[in-house]
Amino acid sequence: MKVDQSIMRWQGFNIDVLVKIFQSLDSIELTSSVAHVCRAWRTAACDPIHWKVFDLSKLESIFIKTPIQPYVYVAEQSDKFLTRLLKISLNLSQGNIRSLIFHFNLYLRDDQLAYIAERCPQLRRLVMPAWNRITKNTICEAIRTWKDLESLTMPSLANTSYLLEEISKNCNNFRELKIMGPCHVSFADSMVAFLPRLKILSLRCSVLLKEALLIILEGLKNLEVLNISHCLLIESWNVDGPLVPANLNDESILNAASRLREFLTCTKEPCTLCQRVIEDEGLMRWYKYEEGLWKQDEVASLSL
Amino acid sequence: MITLRSSDGETFDIDEVVAVEMQTIKHMMEDGCAESVIPVLNVTGKILAKVIDFCKKHVESAKAEELKAWDANFIKVNQATLYDLIMAANYLDCKSLLDLTCQTVADMIKGKSPEEIRGIFNIKNDFTPEEEEEIRRANQWAFE
Repeated sequence: MKVDQSIMRWQGFNIDVLVKIFQSLDSIELTSSVAHVCRAWRTAACDPIHWKVFDLSKLESIFIKTPIQPYVYVAEQSDKFLTRLLKISLNLSQGNIRSLIFHFNLYLRDDQLAYIAERCPQLRRLVMPAWNRITKNTICEAIRTWKDLESLTMPSLANTSYLLEEISKNCNNFRELKIMGPCHVSFADSMVAFLPRLKILSLRCSVLLKEALLIILEGLKNLEVLNISHCLLIESWNVDGPLVPANLNDESILNAASRLREFLTCTKEPCTLCQRVIEDEGLMRWYKYEEGLWKQDEVASLSL
Repeated sequence: MITLRSSDGETFDIDEVVAVEMQTIKHMMEDGCAESVIPVLNVTGKILAKVIDFCKKHVESAKAEELKAWDANFIKVNQATLYDLIMAANYLDCKSLLDLTCQTVADMIKGKSPEEIRGIFNIKNDFTPEEEEEIRRANQWAFE
């Protein structure tokens, strides 16, 4: 009798306890084996508590940069591995994922994003810094699925009006945006046009045109928090020579920023991050620096 | 002083401050059971003794590093005892012991394949053939 009992023990375990044990495992560990052990373990692995935040930020694509669009080539094996991981985990998540986090070197393929969007209808936060292989159609379709989207971390893009328009039409609770890269004047104009209710904006660690900054400060009437820490503020683009820096303590800027609840700038002297942004000429090359450095943000809700 | 009685009749006298580490006992005390012996129905004497040791140590010692080292040694038990400790920690609602035991099991699971995990814990694969097929399809490298 005793021997039989011991066989059933770990199998017929209290589900709540199993869920607690699995909480110590990360997203990838959860998908790779525990869900395939037996039915009870699979049930515990599907508990929504594990899937609120799906953090894949430890995963990078195997890729090389190329001189022509989409400027990256991803190894087939790398794509396949991710596809498999997505299939298993999205199946277990049962539509409960609220936050999705990707590494800046994870180059999602267009069909992978489409697959994800369909299976994460309750998404509230997306951190996706690499859009090279994503088409306009797919991202727009995804935005249409994500009615509850509140927060987006994205790369710098030249033309964004289509994207922000889609967000304004579909995502009533959208409040927070982080751009990992320079904010062009056109991007600033689009934000003012389509995201009037934006509350939080982070543009940290990039080159920033004074004109764009003023457009944001004067145009986004509901903005409460603006983070331009470690930004290289410039007067204008100067193709032939060095960038012409602008003064952050300019009256027009300070006046416009005074109504913000939080205007975050870097006051450390000297600052390693500011130095690096200058060295990288305003286009922060995160891969050169400490792992995980890119995840930081002076705004708590944007920090990973 | 509080007296606890295990499922197999062993009694343990413990200080109140140690007893309240176990939320279940704490509630029973608040409900007025403290005068007589408190029966701990689901836990044997052998395991209850260990749980009490754990609670005593965690009440006495404040230094995090010392506790960590002690915990690491405390948890070096066989699988059957580990299982019993988890069940006891859950029933007695002793958070720090539950955290320790669950983390230990999680560490045993990490990096292992399903077959390896079944082997370690003596678990039977009880998926139906249909479920197995579904899992096999999900494990493929491409979208269908």
